[in-house]
Amino acid sequence: MNGVNRKWTDGMATSEDWWAVWLGLIMFVGGFLSIWGVDAVGWMAKTKGWLDPGWKHWVKPASKGWKSIGPLGSFLMTYGVFTVFVCIGAFFMKLDMKKFFIGWTCIFFITWGSWIAGHNGHFKFHKTIQSSQQPEIWGDDVYCATKVHKCSKKLNKALKKMGVDVAAGQAPTAEQASAAVDKVKKAVRMSWGLQLGGGFSYMLSLAVGLFIGNFMKGFAGFLREAAKPEWYIKTAIVYLGIKIGMMSMKAAGFMFELAIAGMCATIVAYMIFWPIVYALGRKAFALPRGASAVMASGISICGVSAAIATAGAIRAKAVLPVMVSMLIVVFAMFELIVLPGLYVSINPGDPIVNGAAMGLTVKTDGADAAAGAILDELERAWAQKQGIQWEEGSILAAAVMTKIWIDMFIGVWAFVLAIIWVYKVERKPGQSQVPVSEIWFRFPKFVLGYFFCWFAYVAIAVFLPEIIKPAMHGAKIVQSPMRKMMFMLCFVSIGVITDFSKLKGMGKLTLLYAIALFLIIAPIAYLVAWIFHHGMMPPLATP
Amino acid sequence: MGMETELETILTDDGENWTVRTDNLTASGRTMDELDNDLKRVLNESGQFDKGSSVKVFMRYDFSNLPTWFRQYQYHYFNRSVTIDL
Repeated sequence: MNGVNRKWTDGMATSEDWWAVWLGLIMFVGGFLSIWGVDAVGWMAKTKGWLDPGWKHWVKPASKGWKSIGPLGSFLMTYGVFTVFVCIGAFFMKLDMKKFFIGWTCIFFITWGSWIAGHNGHFKFHKTIQSSQQPEIWGDDVYCATKVHKCSKKLNKALKKMGVDVAAGQAPTAEQASAAVDKVKKAVRMSWGLQLGGGFSYMLSLAVGLFIGNFMKGFAGFLREAAKPEWYIKTAIVYLGIKIGMMSMKAAGFMFELAIAGMCATIVAYMIFWPIVYALGRKAFALPRGASAVMASGISICGVSAAIATAGAIRAKAVLPVMVSMLIVVFAMFELIVLPGLYVSINPGDPIVNGAAMGLTVKTDGADAAAGAILDELERAWAQKQGIQWEEGSILAAAVMTKIWIDMFIGVWAFVLAIIWVYKVERKPGQSQVPVSEIWFRFPKFVLGYFFCWFAYVAIAVFLPEIIKPAMHGAKIVQSPMRKMMFMLCFVSIGVITDFSKLKGMGKLTLLYAIALFLIIAPIAYLVAWIFHHGMMPPLATP
Repeated sequence: MGMETELETILTDDGENWTVRTDNLTASGRTMDELDNDLKRVLNESGQFDKGSSVKVFMRYDFSNLPTWFRQYQYHYFNRSVTIDL
C-alpha cells in the first residue's frame, strides 16, 4: 500500500530521499571501479573557463581516457546517462514520466547553458599574483585560465628560461613580463574581470531559475514535475561524501574537528532556537499551540521536513505544514541570496565560522548547500586576493556538516514531540501508539549514502593506502564535475519552484518568520558557530 | 476483556475536519478526540464488532491529499494507530 510506513524497507524504491542514495551510490560504484583500472565515469563533461565560444572551449571529458568522444560527445553522454538514471528514479517515484522527461531535459539544458555562460573568463578567471602585486611591471590585466598558483608558477618558470630567477629575488622588466605572459597559455590579458571563480555560474543559474519561477509561471508549472531541488542536492551531498573522504585522507584532523564542532553547535542551537521561536509564536503572535510548534520546527530545525514531521507528530492538519513550507522555501531563497555575500563582506577571515553559521541558519538542504557552495567560491576568491589557496569544498563541507547533524536529529525530535502530544496533550496513553520505528522513517536516508562514501574512502586511506592513487581517479570525477552538476541542477530547480507571490495572504506567519529568522536564528546561529568553530581554517590547497 | 480485531482505514482532512473511511464506514471530527468518538459510534452502529471488544484501528493518511510538490516529504507525515474499546 503506497505511503504506509510499516516495514523498515518502506520507501526504498519510491521515496526521493532513497533515490538520492541510489543515484549517489551508482556513480560512487562507477568511480570506485577505477581501482581496478576501469574508467567508468570518465565520459562526464567538465566545464572549462573560456573566452572564445565553441564546444571545445566550453567542455571536455573529465578523463583523458575518454578524449576520443570529444567535448560534444562527452556532453551528450552526460545527458544520456543521467537522463536514464533519473528517469528510472522518476518511474519508481510514480512521477508523470512524460512531464518529467521533458521537464528534466529543459532543466538540464538550462543548467548547462547557465554553467557554461558563468564560466566565461570575465566572470571566472582570477588575476595572477604577479598582476595583483606588481601591476607596474605586469600590467593590471593578467588573469589565470587555471588555478592562480599554477599560473604563477608557470610565469616564473617562463621568466627563469629568460634568465630571470624570481625565487632568487630578481625582478623582471616590463618587456620580460610581457614576453612571459605571451609564453604561458593559461595567462590571459582581459580588460575586466569579476574574479568570482565558479560562483558566478551558481548565481546565474539561480537567477535564471528565479526568473522562470516568477516571470514565466506557465513554463515553471510545466517544469515543476522535474524541478526537484531536494533530490538533486541530496544526490550531490552523497557525492560530497566522497569529497569529504578524500579531504579526510589529506586533513583528517580538520575533518574530525569539523564533524565534532558541527555536532556540538547543532545541539546547542537546537536547544536555543526551538523554545524561543515557539514562545514567540505563542506569546507575541497568539498562535495556537500546533501552529507554533510547526513553525518553530520549520524555522529552527530543518525546514520543510521538520515542519511536516512535527505536524505529523502533533497530529496537525496538512494545510499547516504546507503553508509553513511555502514560507520556508521562499525565505530560504532570501537567505541564499543575502547571506554568502553578507558573511564574506563582514568577516571573510573566518570562513569555517561562516560555513557553519550558514548550515545553522538556512533551512532547506538545497538552499543551504547552494549557499555553502557560493560562500565557498566567494571565500576562496577573497583568499586568492590575499595570496592564499584554500582547499575547494572545505567551507561548503562546514555548511553541509552542520545541516546534516540537524537533519539527523529530526526523527528523534519528532518522536519526542509525538510522545509529549500523546501523553500530555491528547492524554490518551495506551490507546494512541507512537512506534519507535517513526524515528527510522524520518531519518534522512541520503545521510547514509554520504557517510558510506566518506568512510569508504577513509577506509582505503587507512587499510589500503597503496590503492589511493587509482581510487582518486574515479573519485575526483564523481565528487567534482558530477557533484557540481547536481548543485547546478538544484540551483535552477530551486529558482523554478520559488514563487515570491506565495507570501501574499500569509501576513502574520510571514512577519513571525521574518522576525524569528533575521533577529533570532541568524544572530544566534552565528554566535554559536563562532563559539565552536572560531580559529578553524580550511586546509591549504595542494598543487 | 473482549478479543481485539484490526481495522485498516484511510485518514484525510479538509483543513477543518479529520475523516476516516473504509469501503463501508465513515467517521469524522474536528479534533482527533472527536474523530475517535465518532469512530466508536460508527463501529458500534455497524454491527460488525462485538460489544465489549477492542478494535485496533490503523489510519493511513491519504497522501494524495497533499499538494504534488509536497508529496516528496510524505514519509515525514503520519499514519495513526489507535485502539477503540467498544
